[in-house]
Amino acid sequence: MLIRLIGGLLQIEAVFMLIPLVTCLIYEETDYIVFAITGICTAVAGHLLWRVYPVTRRMGKREGFLLTASVWVVFSFAGMFPFIFGSPKADLSTSFFEAMSGFTTTGATILPPVEGISHGIIIWQALMQWLGGMGIILFTLAVIPALNTSGGMQMFNAEVTGVTHDKIMPRISQTAKMLWGLYFGLTTVLIILLWAGPMDLFDSICHAFGTISTGGFSSRQDSIAAFGSDYVLIIICLFMLLSGMNFAMLFKMVTGRWRQAGKDDVAKVYICAILVFTALFAIGRFTSGETLDWRHATLLPMFQVVSSITSTGYLAPGFTMWEPFVLALTFIMMFSGGCAGSTSGGAKIDRLLYLGRYLGNELRLCTHPNAVLSVRINGKIINRDLVSKVVAFLCLFMLLIVAGGTALSFMGLPAVDSFFSSFSCICNTGFGASLTGYGDDFLTIPAGAKWVLSFLMLTGRLEIFTVLVLFTPSFWK
Amino acid sequence: MRIVIAGAGEVGSHLAKLLSYEEQDIIVIDENRERLDILDSSYNLMTVCGNPTSFLTLKEARAGQADLFIAVTPLETTNLVACSIAKSFGAITTVARISHYGFMAPENRPAMQRMGVDRLIYPEYLAACEIITAMEHSWVRNWFELHDGQIILVGVRIRDNAPLAGMQLKEFASTTGCFHVSAIRRNHETIIPRGNDYMLAGDVLYITATRDRIDDLIKLCGKVQRKIKRVLIMGGSKIAIRLVDMCGDRFRFTIIDNNREVCALLPEKCPDAEIVHGDARDPDVLAEAGIDRCDAFIALSPSSESNILTTLSAKEAGIKKSVAEVEDIQFIPQAEALGIGTVINKKLLATSTIFQLMLDADASTSKCLALTDAEVAELEVKPGAKITRAAVKDLHLDRNMTLAALIRDGRGMLVTGMTRFMVGDKVLIFCLAGSLHKVEHLFS
Repeated sequence: MLIRLIGGLLQIEAVFMLIPLVTCLIYEETDYIVFAITGICTAVAGHLLWRVYPVTRRMGKREGFLLTASVWVVFSFAGMFPFIFGSPKADLSTSFFEAMSGFTTTGATILPPVEGISHGIIIWQALMQWLGGMGIILFTLAVIPALNTSGGMQMFNAEVTGVTHDKIMPRISQTAKMLWGLYFGLTTVLIILLWAGPMDLFDSICHAFGTISTGGFSSRQDSIAAFGSDYVLIIICLFMLLSGMNFAMLFKMVTGRWRQAGKDDVAKVYICAILVFTALFAIGRFTSGETLDWRHATLLPMFQVVSSITSTGYLAPGFTMWEPFVLALTFIMMFSGGCAGSTSGGAKIDRLLYLGRYLGNELRLCTHPNAVLSVRINGKIINRDLVSKVVAFLCLFMLLIVAGGTALSFMGLPAVDSFFSSFSCICNTGFGASLTGYGDDFLTIPAGAKWVLSFLMLTGRLEIFTVLVLFTPSFWK
Repeated sequence: MRIVIAGAGEVGSHLAKLLSYEEQDIIVIDENRERLDILDSSYNLMTVCGNPTSFLTLKEARAGQADLFIAVTPLETTNLVACSIAKSFGAITTVARISHYGFMAPENRPAMQRMGVDRLIYPEYLAACEIITAMEHSWVRNWFELHDGQIILVGVRIRDNAPLAGMQLKEFASTTGCFHVSAIRRNHETIIPRGNDYMLAGDVLYITATRDRIDDLIKLCGKVQRKIKRVLIMGGSKIAIRLVDMCGDRFRFTIIDNNREVCALLPEKCPDAEIVHGDARDPDVLAEAGIDRCDAFIALSPSSESNILTTLSAKEAGIKKSVAEVEDIQFIPQAEALGIGTVINKKLLATSTIFQLMLDADASTSKCLALTDAEVAELEVKPGAKITRAAVKDLHLDRNMTLAALIRDGRGMLVTGMTRFMVGDKVLIFCLAGSLHKVEHLFS
């Protein structure tokens, strides 16, 4: 059943390969052959798997985890071929890193300068981020009716981010359809808004895909700065902000349940965090002694804050020259990430909020040992089991950063680069180590390290448990 | 169909699972977070945590847009209030589970309607009806009749002595021609048989027949119809009280219960029955209560295991009909395999009522029977239904269902490959679990 479903999913990926194929044809590039061949191979392989393996028993929790994790890996494998055979001619590890970085919306790129490669490859990179943003599985749940069962439920739980998983409709396929509909709607609006500005259609599609998925892909080497337009900055900033919110909550807002959404603790913390960090950034900028106009004091810090907290990874023009203090704040935001149920990466604000309230309780218990305290979110008591799951998650998150960093430094990377890259990849932010002022970009990383980082990106995107559970002996018994 | 279920207890959870397999939109409300989490994480449905009688919770669960609102919490007052609120929000049909006969009495219908409660589920009453049917037709396990008995579907376990044991279905059809073997239950699995399948000793056969051929069927199955008069009941439960109350003087009851307080109250509720205090698991107590003179033994204690085992020991004393209440669904096939005549399960009985409502919103014309892994339903053919387009053999029906019989102009007949349905026919369908919604498509 697992292999059969993977076959089905590959066929869907093949359909998506038509988009870069058409793009290549429009721009009269030779890469269309690559996409045609990859697409056909993927479709045929997928179809064979779909045909050969029969429908079997219901899927349980185990199969849900296994399928979700393997689908992401298989998708990245199929998605890397255009990079190998297309115009950039990258090697295997680079291509896989690139594909994984795309699907997990990390957005770390190690291909040669963007202007040198074909439009087809560019749109494929953007499209991978867009697909991965809302989730490959979630998309399939929306389109394959056969998954509208409890098996589909398990996959939904394994892929969607967050501590608990909100369903917005009774059946899983309806939930998936609504979320994807919303996602698609937001993307369309952004494309139109960007197109109305200084961008052409191609650039606006690529940037919209990169923004809504919080992947941070740009079709220009200079990223957003290439357009030199405040309009673009403001629009992208706004949509990054929206993409960092819980989509189930956005759905409630769209369907007119404002009051319910306005009471959400996590959203409040998210907005407050952005405002506070923006203020701190602005203060940091002012103390530097440079003379700054309003744009440097408000818009650019705001853009950078939103880009970091949502794990998008666009850089505000001139950010690399900013103060170390600002960089330290960026680290915090990369760690926190956006709201659960959004397309952003990181540990998610929800978890930090749980942890914060839990720590507060523990401290209070020191002086008032008999007080009965509980973690409350949105006025409801959070089960202790859930709190301990959150604590376990955060511990694992830290451990993985350390383990990843150690592995990378073992492969010969400088210590700062190792730890920062590992951190940036597991948070799906995609900032290169050059940001720290000490190291180089992802370009200089050895092949082995690329596989390590790919693993970290996947683990970060699927929120650790889904991937790590596969490495426990009890899973296979 | 959007269905809101208030109460994730035994009945509620069972309904939620079954209906989610039937591809309906299910929202479950309960106050207990943990119970909901179990459902939420493994079934394709949505849950809302909160009090089912709170306006806020019901609004959150969008009870107002529900096609069917089912309140099955353990408390009947909660159920009635929840239904009333849901109806005021705009729910189309509301169903409440009750545990007192007063709510069901015909003279109180208008009052219930005013409250916004459309339908009632009274599992104890349904169970009592089921037991009475089982005792009237002592040779079958299940008895399902349509239209004043024009068409009858029986579930019967055949033994070596049955003339039809070992026959192939084709052969059976060509020799007799007036029975329809709708399903065979063998080794805990129900199959819809084809012409090449055999009927073996030990199988439970679900056979459809017209009323005039029932006597032949009894002979073919190697059974004897016995008259039941003296009945021994183990456990003075609500079902027992209901049963005794409904039967009047048709049967003579003896009730054994091991709780002295329960025994002390029983004479008031069941004045004609003989009450014995003691543990029915003790053979001496059974003998003292006169098991050797009894025709039927009915085990209705809260423990499924005790019911099954005590019924088996009672069978050794030579009773003609045994009935056991088995609340754990996974034990039902085991109990059937052990040779218990009829198994009673409140969840399945409640499910029957709900399926009936699901199939037909007005529910006045259809009947439904839920078995452990299959359903039997009666449906009316509506104008423009897919099923009228061709003869049965050309309809390419799903393999998980079979059309057994139909009633046209008040007369029952069996369905053959040549049958062509007409508007207004009432059709008896046997389908395996999870495919009832496909049947629905055929008829709409």
